[in-house]
Amino acid sequence: MEKEILAEIKDLSVTYPTRIGSVSAVDHVNFNIYKGEILGLVGESGCGKSTLGKALLRMIDPPGEISNGKIVFRGENIMEYDYNHLRDFRGRHVSMIFQDPMTSLNPVQRVDEHLIETIQVHEPQTKEDSALQRSKVMIERLGIGIERLYSYPHQLSGGMRQRVMTGIGLILNADLIIADEATTSLDVIVEAKLADQLREIRDEFGVSLLLITHNIALVAEMADRIAVMYAGHLVEIGDIYKIFEEPKHPYTQGLLASVPNIRFDTNEHLYKMPGEPPNLTHPPLGCRFHPRCPHAMPICSQREPLLVEIEEGWSVHCWLYQEQSS
Amino acid sequence: MNSQKEKQNDSVPEWQLELDKVGFVRRLFLARKWYKGDWWFVLISAILLIFIILVGIFPQWFAPYDPREEVGPSLLKPGEKTPGFMLLTNIADNVGSFQDIAGASNKIGYIMGSQATQAFRDSLDILNAQSQQEGAGLMYQPRGYRYETAQQGLDALQAGEIDGFIVAESELGDLLADYPGIQFLEEIRSSKAESFILGTNQLGQDILSRIIWGTRIALIVGLSSALISFVIGVPLGLFSGFIGGKIDRFLTMIMDSLYAFPGLILAIAIASVLGAGMGNIIVAIAVIYVPTYFRVVRGQTLTVKNELYVEAARSLGTNMMTILTKYIFPNVLPSVVIIFSVNVADAILTEAGLSFIGLGLPPDTPDWGIDLARGQDYLRSAWWLITFPGGMVSLVTLAFSMLGESLSEILNPRLSEL
Amino acid sequence: MSSSLKKFLVTRILLTIPMVLIMITLVFFIMRVLPGDPIRSQLGPRVSEEQADRLRERLGLNDPILVQYGNYLKDMLTFNFGNALTRGERPIREELGEKLPATLELSIPAMLIAVALGIGLGAFSAKNRKKPVDYGIRLFSIFIYSIPIFFLGLIFQIIFGVRLNLLPLSGRMDPILLTTFESKTNFYIIDSILSQNWAALKSTLLHLILPSLTLGLSLTGVFIRLTRVNMIEMIKSDFITAGRARGISETQLIYKHSLRNTFIPILTMIGLQMALLIAGAVLTETTFSWPGMGRYLVDRIALRDYTAVQSTIGVFAFFVAIISLVMDILYALVDPRIRY
Ligand SMILES: Nc1ncnc2c1ncn2[C@@H]1O[C@H](COP(=O)(O)OP(=O)(O)OP(=O)(O)O)[C@@H](O)[C@H]1O
Ligand SMILES: [Mg+2]
Repeated sequence: MEKEILAEIKDLSVTYPTRIGSVSAVDHVNFNIYKGEILGLVGESGCGKSTLGKALLRMIDPPGEISNGKIVFRGENIMEYDYNHLRDFRGRHVSMIFQDPMTSLNPVQRVDEHLIETIQVHEPQTKEDSALQRSKVMIERLGIGIERLYSYPHQLSGGMRQRVMTGIGLILNADLIIADEATTSLDVIVEAKLADQLREIRDEFGVSLLLITHNIALVAEMADRIAVMYAGHLVEIGDIYKIFEEPKHPYTQGLLASVPNIRFDTNEHLYKMPGEPPNLTHPPLGCRFHPRCPHAMPICSQREPLLVEIEEGWSVHCWLYQEQSS
Repeated sequence: MNSQKEKQNDSVPEWQLELDKVGFVRRLFLARKWYKGDWWFVLISAILLIFIILVGIFPQWFAPYDPREEVGPSLLKPGEKTPGFMLLTNIADNVGSFQDIAGASNKIGYIMGSQATQAFRDSLDILNAQSQQEGAGLMYQPRGYRYETAQQGLDALQAGEIDGFIVAESELGDLLADYPGIQFLEEIRSSKAESFILGTNQLGQDILSRIIWGTRIALIVGLSSALISFVIGVPLGLFSGFIGGKIDRFLTMIMDSLYAFPGLILAIAIASVLGAGMGNIIVAIAVIYVPTYFRVVRGQTLTVKNELYVEAARSLGTNMMTILTKYIFPNVLPSVVIIFSVNVADAILTEAGLSFIGLGLPPDTPDWGIDLARGQDYLRSAWWLITFPGGMVSLVTLAFSMLGESLSEILNPRLSEL
Repeated sequence: MSSSLKKFLVTRILLTIPMVLIMITLVFFIMRVLPGDPIRSQLGPRVSEEQADRLRERLGLNDPILVQYGNYLKDMLTFNFGNALTRGERPIREELGEKLPATLELSIPAMLIAVALGIGLGAFSAKNRKKPVDYGIRLFSIFIYSIPIFFLGLIFQIIFGVRLNLLPLSGRMDPILLTTFESKTNFYIIDSILSQNWAALKSTLLHLILPSLTLGLSLTGVFIRLTRVNMIEMIKSDFITAGRARGISETQLIYKHSLRNTFIPILTMIGLQMALLIAGAVLTETTFSWPGMGRYLVDRIALRDYTAVQSTIGVFAFFVAIISLVMDILYALVDPRIRY
């Protein structure tokens, strides 16, 4: 099956200058997002997942900046967009759902105002009532009652708000939705419902979904491919079944082993990874994982490995799988 | 291909890496890169404050004259020369200087009602002071003679009835040409200086000296009232927030009402009952800032109180005083420092306001507010009476509020993140 | 009106009562319990003790303190302040009735100036945080706050009144026009419009410019600061990020989304700044000889008219409590979270 590339992230780095040094939150990351796929992005807290997600919209808070690399979206390099172009790109082509449904809607705006505003920002010629019509259709399709259209955010439940956020993302037929821990703060049942709905939406609208989460089980259930980040590096990316079957990178191995009962032997006790994630202001030289790695070699602390493809569509960022060229 | 692998930490500037290692002073200096404008705000206001405090402690070093003394003609413009008077003598008398004809047996003339009288007396004072210093024991005390017009005076001088005649150039006109035997000997001034940098007020006092001595008053009132509010407000807030319950609710209600009450009006009420005087003013101003400390300290105490480590300390049987001073006080300190700084600024403004409406200090005090109130009467003619004291109040207040504001930007973690 | 809003309003109004009580008790405490004899200071040393005692008797100052307090509360709450001790001994209620409109006529435009300028500049500053214009606006706000209000007024008088000779220095209206001017409401603007006296209206407006500008500008500093701090908090909130992520422009995010949310805290804080407004009004009125409550208070303090002083301060206390109540009610009406 030939997959159509939606977005190419090339050598992307993001740094935040801080008082104690600059944080390289995302460091030379390369990967593609295909059309219509669900890509799960996992990693420890603070490894740069949200930063990567925001970088795709070029929304890094100053003084942080994208210090290197480019993002090619449907053949266009969005790093070259000017402000107005970028603004139109956000929301129309890529939209984002955030973690906290309680705070990501404007508390003094009603649901319909959010939707209509989004339409009119991108299509200023659209009349108010036709925008309202479209909003109604979208809201119904998401399984929210029409009467909720005139509610204020604080009158909705968390799950409903996330669905509204999703609706805002979909109303302009975006190609990519970034869900940054969109389900984390919901209870298990609502989470499962939202996950189902996101998958339906993908099938129905053909959008791609970048699913940022801590919840490996959710990724296992929903995603087509999985990307693993560690300390700003993308350490492994590939087909979900293959990686879950036989993770290559020692960090992925540790990560999957420390998740309670997914597909592994149930009587194996939970693995605890030794050590702490590094301080990103002064990351370890070479591979950033080497201080915690059970397979560390001398080279690991000296030079950084490359992200190399070990199999069709499966890349690993580890010295174990590449030649130590001189 | 391999170039990417050998990545160094070159994106982190050297100074940032060192920040943890360097000493306090250097760290302060390095911090300017991070805090940008706020750092400069702190620096500028700190320098300004050090200077102001120096001036406040040692006004005598900076002030050229006694602030209450009449040192020159009234309402002299800044930098304006004090009007000079001409001392005329007979050429034939062969007088060398004013000193020679200022003995007790000499006679000096001037025009009735002229400013020359003042100049005459002032120059005598100077001569006498000089002779006393030298221990000569001479008294310069010539007799004065008054004339209706310059012409009469000149006639008398020519006739030898008097030894000298003091007259302003404007009074003289070009009469001198008619008296070939009379010469212009020297200029006589009516004040201690040729001019005053910031001019003089309606009483002939030096404005520069007054605003310099005013600094002391402002600092005393500002700092001591802020200190009193601090000493009352902070413990009360700690206590109230910590014990909670009915007492806390009662205190909070009182403090909230006090806080909502317009501070100046309250100070006016207290000052008008207690009467004028430095101590009373300080008390009046101190009262109005107690609630500010109380509210902030109480609020923070409530938050900190519930944090785990205090709970832990409490369960170990640590007594209340220790918890308050060891755990809670250090946490509220940054905000209290900010309030203190703003409080001093406010107190100085309030003091000036009270003095301006006539409720402040005794009327002869060299105080900015009093000077401003008096200057208002000369609004049309003498702008410098208002501008300089007003400028001083603004400057000192500015220094304190700038410090408070920039400190709050730096110390407030919510605002400055990272 | 929903029941939760009703409940909020009732609680809020009930809370105002102790506040007013505490405030006027405070005034009583200051005026009667603090050391210092108001009657002695009023009459001066030359009046005999007998005479002073008679006045004390008449004012009820010889009663036990609790009885005095009771009478005082009754008088205050019924707005029955008695007569002034000086200057014609008119009923204080009548006098304050004339002065209050003057103070309002000065304060309302001043407040509008302060709110418009303060919120506008504060929002702009927040939008450009840490850029030079932010530092500039902040410096301006600290600076304007540091200038004593009467000094600002005097400077304006020197520049616009004396040097440029554009605007009148003091008063509410040209004294010549005032002799024939008939005032019903004591709001000169309203009166002159009602009587279609355009010359009077023009004069009133001209006289209003400097005082209201002075008072307004001096409040602006605080408003800029409040707006800026609140906006910066608001700009960091998630819904702004979410708005940015769906392509809403920065300008709209600031002036529409953030500002509308910031209005709520700002409104509360403006309520708290009433104290500042009143303090400012007293000084402004003194500077510009504006015949309002503040000027009246200062005059009566100079005359040591203790009844008048006590009543004026009491009325100020009422004023503050009422305004803070009104602000809270407005708050409830603006914020949908309370409205429903
Ligand atoms: N605005 C910022 N300024 C400075 N550093 C930042 C900023 N935002 C994030 N970082 C740093 O960048 C790194 C990555 O943060 P990010 O929020 O992307 O992590 P994450 O993987 O999303 O974590 P989590 O799972 O907790 O959401 C962290 O070390 C964080 O401290
Ligand atoms: Mg995150």
